[in-house]
Amino acid sequence: MRREVVVSLLVLCFIGSDVVQEGEGIWLNVPPSKNKCVSEEIQNNVVVLADYVVIYDDPAHVTPTISVKVTSPYGNDLHHQENATHGQFAFTAHEAGNYLACFSVDGSNPGGGDVSVNLEWRTGIAAKDWESVARKEKIEGVELELRKLEGAVEAIHENLLYLRTREAEMRTVSERTNGRVAWWSIMSLGICIVVSALQLWHLKRFFQKKKLI
Amino acid sequence: MGLWGLRHAVAMAALCLVLLRSRGTEGLRLWIEEGEECFSQGVKYEGDSFHVSFVVIKDNSPWHHSANADGIDLVIKGPSGEQILDFRDRKSLTISFMAPSKGIYHLCFINKSPYHESIYFDVHVGHLKSLKPSEQHLQDAHVTPLMEQIAKLEEALDNIVFEQHWLKAETHRQAIVNDGMSRRAIPKAVIESVALVGASVLQVYLLQRLFNRKLGASVLKV
Repeated sequence: MRREVVVSLLVLCFIGSDVVQEGEGIWLNVPPSKNKCVSEEIQNNVVVLADYVVIYDDPAHVTPTISVKVTSPYGNDLHHQENATHGQFAFTAHEAGNYLACFSVDGSNPGGGDVSVNLEWRTGIAAKDWESVARKEKIEGVELELRKLEGAVEAIHENLLYLRTREAEMRTVSERTNGRVAWWSIMSLGICIVVSALQLWHLKRFFQKKKLI
Repeated sequence: MGLWGLRHAVAMAALCLVLLRSRGTEGLRLWIEEGEECFSQGVKYEGDSFHVSFVVIKDNSPWHHSANADGIDLVIKGPSGEQILDFRDRKSLTISFMAPSKGIYHLCFINKSPYHESIYFDVHVGHLKSLKPSEQHLQDAHVTPLMEQIAKLEEALDNIVFEQHWLKAETHRQAIVNDGMSRRAIPKAVIESVALVGASVLQVYLLQRLFNRKLGASVLKV
């Protein structure tokens, strides 16, 4: 009886996982002539995993193909693929900055409309391969779930520390702006006073020369 | 045999939860051209909580300042095309609502300014915090309460990540404004001083010309 429960649970799982795959990720509409770009600011040493699939619902026509280009903040090409209907790419971010993934329609596009692409983009903790961790360290069940939670909490903590440093930077910039505005306004005011004094002196000299005073 | 069977069942349940847990969160930066651009997100169960947030990042070019003063519009449409929510002229937004039905929801951004806008965008669909007990919960009765609690905790953490992403985006926007102000403080003061000096030189010159003319005329008259 228990074996039946286990088997039915497993079957349910695999059916469920099919349902899960459908809804994950975000769908982009790539217009036929333009580039559609997606980017994310990624810190150093963060793993990025992405999956893209062209969604087509017209079985009569050939699937439209897209070309994908992923670039690093310094312009290095990380992944480049033409005429693809699906694919995936993974990389570890060695430079902190804005990573860009651009999609554009190339090749055949019968029907001419926007091409729907399902993009699943995972960074950092979401990209971690928990199955291999479970296999390597031989943990399962509750312990694995708690490990995942620990990873998620660590990621949140890192984000919070990053926000704190950003706030500190903004605070220094604000204080510097405050100092600059104060001193340079005083300088501006000083110049105004000096110039008007010069003006008075010059005009007085002028009128004295013209024998009016 | 009993203990091994139970352990196996718990492991299977854990695997189940791993596969069935939906973590549809994407924290992305998108470029919206002029006009309407739509993105879609799937919702698997009726009653799931749907969270969307976006922040418009102003490009730091002073020439576009007045055009970027208004934000962008967001229209959320349900699976059968009905309009669920509509927000106009927002520069930053974070909203969550209960999805009335399952299917694919469309989020359409409408950019009314002629320049392209860059936004930080995040969407998250949460399942276990849904208010309606769907049939999924009844099936989850096979899973131990411990695993369900852990799954709830995981979803709460996902929500925190979602809020943090929005906070990061807002901080970035503030940082851009701050940096801009800091950089422009000195040139502003310099230009101001130059303008003042120029104005007073012009004043002196005009007065001198006026008196020269008047004096010249009176000399001639006499």
